[in-house]
Amino acid sequence: MNRLSKWLDERIDLVGIRRTLLDRRMPRDLTWWHTLGSATLAVFLVQAATGTILAMYYAPSPDHAYDSIRYLEHSVASGALLRGIHHWGASAMVILVVAHAIRVFSMGAYKYPRELNWLLGVALLGIVLGFGFTGYLLPWDQKAYWATQVGTNIAGTTPVVGAVIVKLLRGGAQLGVATLTRFYALHVLLLPALLAGIALLHLTLVVRNGIAPRTGVLELNAPARTDSPEYHRYYAESYAASKKAGVRFWPDIVVLDAVIATSLVLLLFLVGHFVGAGLELPADPSDSSYVPRPEWYFLPFFQLLKLVPGSMESVAAVGVPGVLVLVLLLLPFFDRRSARAFNRRPVARISLFGLLGGIVLLLGASIREPKPTAIAPEVGRVLNSPERAGRALFERQQCGGCHIVAGKGGADRKGDAKDSPELTEVGLRHSAAYIHSFIEDPSRFHTGSKMPAFGPPVLSHQEIEELSRYLSSLRGKNWQTAKEEFVDTFPEPRKPKEKP
Amino acid sequence: MDDHVEMGAESARPDEGRRGFLVKVSAACAGVSAVLVGFPVVRSFVSPSLPQPRADGWVKVADDIALLDVGVPVRVNFVQELQDAWVESRSLNGVWLYTEDGDKFKAYNGHCTHLGCSYVYDKDLKHFFCPCHRGQFDVKTGEVLAGPPPRPLDELQVEIRDSAVFVNYRDYRLGVSDKIEA
Repeated sequence: MNRLSKWLDERIDLVGIRRTLLDRRMPRDLTWWHTLGSATLAVFLVQAATGTILAMYYAPSPDHAYDSIRYLEHSVASGALLRGIHHWGASAMVILVVAHAIRVFSMGAYKYPRELNWLLGVALLGIVLGFGFTGYLLPWDQKAYWATQVGTNIAGTTPVVGAVIVKLLRGGAQLGVATLTRFYALHVLLLPALLAGIALLHLTLVVRNGIAPRTGVLELNAPARTDSPEYHRYYAESYAASKKAGVRFWPDIVVLDAVIATSLVLLLFLVGHFVGAGLELPADPSDSSYVPRPEWYFLPFFQLLKLVPGSMESVAAVGVPGVLVLVLLLLPFFDRRSARAFNRRPVARISLFGLLGGIVLLLGASIREPKPTAIAPEVGRVLNSPERAGRALFERQQCGGCHIVAGKGGADRKGDAKDSPELTEVGLRHSAAYIHSFIEDPSRFHTGSKMPAFGPPVLSHQEIEELSRYLSSLRGKNWQTAKEEFVDTFPEPRKPKEKP
Repeated sequence: MDDHVEMGAESARPDEGRRGFLVKVSAACAGVSAVLVGFPVVRSFVSPSLPQPRADGWVKVADDIALLDVGVPVRVNFVQELQDAWVESRSLNGVWLYTEDGDKFKAYNGHCTHLGCSYVYDKDLKHFFCPCHRGQFDVKTGEVLAGPPPRPLDELQVEIRDSAVFVNYRDYRLGVSDKIEA
């Protein structure tokens, strides 16, 4: 022992720490499945390291969030890689936590004496999903904005307290500035602290109770129920015997953990580099054509809500996850049978396969659905900002009451308005300049036109211009091949009025 | 507690070689992981200190050379577009233009090389004069004539394109005797 470790040992009992953490005996014949917990921890450390740097290049405000992400992607050395790793690391965390839970469930490892650690694990699963939900909003692109819009609305369907929950989640009635700061604070302050704290407890209990052995070790001649003193005695003896025949944690088990963790890190690096995190167009709250989709690990749930009738939605939206969480929390307390091997637990088997099968089916169904795009169907391309403003005006002025666009609108086409032209392809027939003049004063173009004049003071010239830009972007269903053939005939300039 | 292997009884075991191998594999894995994660983390952290592609500093400071006085320096202001990380902003900046023949132009950064005050042209002295610490500069060369400035005025590249004057605007470190880009 050199002088430094001797000095440390006298003060923090280095030898004791080594004996407790590293030299402890592990039950014999652990499997590769037993590395899932440490793999989750490894990816969490990756997330913490990459996330810290990401936070340095991020501004949690709708004005700057998107620009800061773009800056990171394009102007910071390795910024895109950093974000790619963090993005895919989030998916990896979800997969690993769930896989770890399945491992623990199928090996009956939640049973005596590890009930408490199962509860901590359920909490960690919730925290990881919370990380996913809050982190998803931060880039403030279309995907982020609309997925959060839907996610918070789902929470809003909770009976009685739904309205309050939505306001608490959003920091106000609408998704906006306060939502972003709220999610950011949760994502970088509260959730990391919670996760670190609970994971530490989780690990302490793993060291305290030892890792659950592979199935079979605690099966032979076991008393039927785990809540009897005989079982506790039986457990202590069998577990000790298994440990005696096992290897030490360091390095025999650590090496398995290290190999798996390093492979995962390598995978994240490659996916982060070659696929990246992606960034859609900036969030556009006025875009009514965007079809929101949550991150893939929320898709099965999202798909489930599509399947239930509207009246049952709140039951499915709150009830299904609620029941699932309740079952997970109560599991170690109502399942006190000592059987641990998966093939001796038919109910557990049916439940797990049923749940996984359902999730896979729902995930498959939602993946097979046509991928939504950020393209307005009536235009065939992404609108720019004046066009978007124009579309908002189109809605506000209720132009759609008389005019039909792409099969929508026209509810008021009766009486004087029955001849209002359809505008689906108006961009092919008229230039924006023509449309601008027309909107200002239609009667100049068609004497007796029933359309009111929208020139100032009804709309400002800038607003009319935005509206015209939007309308001239309408090019019908065959927008890709259709050619513009303008039939703009401007009326003669009006003669100056003679003063009486 | 027979959970833990007795210390000391470890050495001279037949599996010592295997153990050493596992330790090496674990260490190698830890090293590889640290490099894979450390590379983007450290690189993006130090990114601001890496050489950055310099934004083009050419700005138009005067529309027509014919309108500029000859033999008298003129201060021209222009709006400089600044890119502060992901935030774009504009600021008003100025240079001094001087020509003796209406053909060849000299341009000086509008900040005194001492501490960055805006200097003025003193019509009586026919020198540039900095009101902060009474520094004086020669109009034709930018040389220091009096006062504390550590180096001549910072001369900038000038180009005439279609009779408009363009200056390659740069800021330099202040208060030092060498002209080093800030």
